[in-house]
Amino acid sequence: MAMRATLRCLSANFSPRLPLLSSAGRDNRAARLRWVSGTRRTFSSCSVLSTALKFTEKHEWVQVEGGIGTVGISSYAQDALGDVVYCGLPEVGQRLEQMDEFGALESVKAASELYSPLTGEVTAINTQLAENPGLVNKDCYAEGWLIKMTIEKPEEVDALMDQAAYDKFIKSLEE
Amino acid sequence: MQGSRPLVRVVRLGLVSYQEGLRLQQVYVDRHRSGPAHSLLLCEHPPVYTTGIRHQPYPASRLDPLRLLGAEVHRANRGGLITFHGPGQLVCYPVLDLSGFRKSVRWYVAQLEKTVVSACGSLGVTATTSPHTGVWVGDNKICAMGIHCGRYVTSHGLALNCNTDLSWFSHIVPCGIEGKGVTSLSRELRRDVSVHEATPHLLAAFGEHFHCELSEDGEYSVLN
Repeated sequence: MAMRATLRCLSANFSPRLPLLSSAGRDNRAARLRWVSGTRRTFSSCSVLSTALKFTEKHEWVQVEGGIGTVGISSYAQDALGDVVYCGLPEVGQRLEQMDEFGALESVKAASELYSPLTGEVTAINTQLAENPGLVNKDCYAEGWLIKMTIEKPEEVDALMDQAAYDKFIKSLEE
Repeated sequence: MQGSRPLVRVVRLGLVSYQEGLRLQQVYVDRHRSGPAHSLLLCEHPPVYTTGIRHQPYPASRLDPLRLLGAEVHRANRGGLITFHGPGQLVCYPVLDLSGFRKSVRWYVAQLEKTVVSACGSLGVTATTSPHTGVWVGDNKICAMGIHCGRYVTSHGLALNCNTDLSWFSHIVPCGIEGKGVTSLSRELRRDVSVHEATPHLLAAFGEHFHCELSEDGEYSVLN
């Protein structure tokens, strides 16, 4: 059960206060096509997504821009997890094969593994999640992003589900 | 096959070290690779303190004194903070493929909580859940929980205090929650309640809340 990826512990001193519940991330299953840029981001100040989100069967999304893929989990996934209290993410520079475990999210005393949607190298991790892990629930498609990585095999992106296919996939799970 | 309930095999490990418990869980996790192989591992551990994936609050300087008490100390890849396992505590590790139930850890943990609340109820203890995961009698935790989920297969689980020596908990802040205490079935019922007595209640409640068939075919764990 040991994770093959090295975890970088981003947890600040966790206090047992209840994380704030927000319905924003939970209700919105549609992809957010407007990219919110902010000064805390490590990347450029594009305000519109150049490509749409692609999804994996493990409910992660990938958004490609300038050869870099940003990875997060979908609204369906954050709802199934419950309130995230901790994000264990890899080190910048770590190389990941598609399907490699790259970290874990903790919610309701459950540590759920994360799997890399693509093959590539980690270029950035969302350090906001150390102090504010609840962003994964509240804003899963934007501020709650997990990692950014290079894309060694673009065909892997092509093979992922688009929004319509993912919505259909979710429906089939709920039946 | 429609409408048939999943089959969960009960595996009674007896008293095993925490390390051995981890090894055996991995054996049962790996079995899921070749198809559904839901199992429910039951055991007790010699005294051990364990931490979860949030191990940063517990540097060696904080954990070493615990070893001097005569307990082992282990890190685990489960959720939840520090806790204690020891004799008199019913430890249950469900190794389920949530694809056969519901693919949500939030649901899974809630069902585990309901299972323990029901088990306590059938023994005469009124227990509740709270915003803090686990099962409580008032402000005292009677059952700790911490699980791991990878590719929808669960491991780790719950620990229900039956006649545990609760003084072991005084050396830690259980689950990192200040101002709360711990309790046990024996303390609440003011009589000795053993793991042996509590186990059938837990199993019955598990079958009820997970809508599954429990099998005990007498085959014990494969120690390879």
